Amino acid sequence: MRRVRLAWAPSAHAQRLVTLALAALIIAVATRRPEFAGVAAPAVLLLAARRGGRPGQIGVGARTSSARLTEGQDAELDVTVTGPGQHSVDLIMHPRHAVVPGAGGARRGAADGPGVDASVPFRVTRSGRRNLGVLGITLRDRLRLTEGQARIELPAVDCYPRPAAQRSRVVLSRLPSRLGEHPSRSAGEGLEFTGVREFVPGDRQRRINWAATTRLGRLQLNTFAAERTQNVVLIADASSEVGDPGSTPSDLALRGCAAAARAYLAVRDRVGLVVYQNGLRWVSPGAGTRQYYRILDLMVAGRSPGGPLARADALSRLPRAALPPGSLILVFTPLLDRRLVETLRDLRERGFSVLIVDVLNAEPTGSSDSLSGLARRIWRMEQDAIRFSLRQLGIPLVRWDGEQTLDEPLAPYTRRVMVSHR
Amino acid sequence: MTRTRSARTAPGDRAPRQAARPGRTAAAAGLLAAGCVTWAAVPVPGPGAAGDLLLAVASACAVFGTARLAVGHESDESRTFLDPVARAARTVADLIRAVPWAEGLVVAVLVLEALHRSRPWHTGLLGAALIAYLSAVHLAESRAAPAVLRPQAPLIAAGLGLLALAAGAAYLPAATGSSADLMAVLAALAAVVVGALALPA
Repeated sequence: MRRVRLAWAPSAHAQRLVTLALAALIIAVATRRPEFAGVAAPAVLLLAARRGGRPGQIGVGARTSSARLTEGQDAELDVTVTGPGQHSVDLIMHPRHAVVPGAGGARRGAADGPGVDASVPFRVTRSGRRNLGVLGITLRDRLRLTEGQARIELPAVDCYPRPAAQRSRVVLSRLPSRLGEHPSRSAGEGLEFTGVREFVPGDRQRRINWAATTRLGRLQLNTFAAERTQNVVLIADASSEVGDPGSTPSDLALRGCAAAARAYLAVRDRVGLVVYQNGLRWVSPGAGTRQYYRILDLMVAGRSPGGPLARADALSRLPRAALPPGSLILVFTPLLDRRLVETLRDLRERGFSVLIVDVLNAEPTGSSDSLSGLARRIWRMEQDAIRFSLRQLGIPLVRWDGEQTLDEPLAPYTRRVMVSHR
Repeated sequence: MTRTRSARTAPGDRAPRQAARPGRTAAAAGLLAAGCVTWAAVPVPGPGAAGDLLLAVASACAVFGTARLAVGHESDESRTFLDPVARAARTVADLIRAVPWAEGLVVAVLVLEALHRSRPWHTGLLGAALIAYLSAVHLAESRAAPAVLRPQAPLIAAGLGLLALAAGAAYLPAATGSSADLMAVLAALAAVVVGALALPA
């Protein structure tokens, strides 16, 4: 709760009444027509009834109803105003970029009582640390002829990206020997049936396949696939802010990464994130709900302004814990940064299994003359060449427009295991 | 503490008796403005070129005053990344907001009425319509429900009573000599009092 000084002044309504009264009285005097003096009478009476007794300061407290917000989620700003006296309180939110006031953006408080509690609805439309804007507070007397104005700066909120829809997962053929939920090629203690073999002393008797034993006359045993976890490293290229705000490649990359993180963490995989933007930030692979929020926090921090320009080759110098060998690397990028493209080639040549999700959904705009058209054609050919060279290296590349689910573009790689290279 | 109703009201919580409808109030203000201008202008053709000019000014004030209510409050959002058309629209909206159209309409309509011959009841009705117009403008501007004007109602009623008295007095035989001068002095004093009331306390 902070104290805010009020600036009192006649309201616009009072100024208009003064104009009416003065104009009517002047005409009455000039033309000697009493009916014009009568026209001024209601305004004069209203102005004469104006009272004093106004608070010089009020206490204002404002906080968001939820500590964690997601893109597009409806939230409320809880505002408490103390000490307005017998004045009504109007609250109007003046939002900043990417903040939209909800239905009925202005809220009014009753005049009676020591204070007013009000909720102002709003919605954040883009992820990142967002400044909510300014809250305008207007106190009005009973006759609404005097107004006290104050403005307070609202707090910043962290808004997480809205995860895209993803249910299926890309699984590598070779998985590290750590317990998880993906059936691997090796036999183990999992649930997925892989075959029948002859019983050897030491095997568990409960796995004897009695039907096969009867048929062959020797003890046969069911075998199962071992269930393993995999390391997934997500790389979000949030360096390109092209296209419409809210659906830039940067937005799509973060939404895609949030979806992938949620999908893989749900099956107990270890997921890490590398954000490539104003700097290179990463969180090492880990599992669990806490890891999910660690990843989201990194995305929000990555969108804060400032910081040095990243060197994409720093990706190849990440510590082993952040980029474990044998990891599946999912890259959400518009492939507009040549340094990142070179780094992806390097990662592939070092034996990492890389899958690129292309999130470029904008083209250079310009006039429709032949020169601009030619420049656009050259740009498209360059982009095609980059994608072709990556495919030639064996890096799968799929396009995602941010509208459809991630399952659709990833379908060719989620139906069967993706062969990991060495 | 008084809790204002939020967007999601709890079950059993009573809905506000009269909700604010800024669109309807702005439309009512526009209609009242058009009515005032028409009422002050009749009979047309009015009193000469000055009348025509005042009619044009009053009509423009009525149109732009309604447009001002429609465009609403200024947005704090940056214009840096707006396209030229949107930026031009914002600039036009700023220009519309900058001019006190309602005040202009009140003055123009009153002068237009004064240019006509004396017609006290006609002027009285115009005064009542102007008060209604200003109230509608205030409601539309502040996005408030009509109920907030309830405390003003007795004063406005008393003022309308005085207006009726003044209109009736205008039918009395014209005052001459010292009584007419006394009336003029009283009206001038009232103007001074209004000016004093307009100053911030």
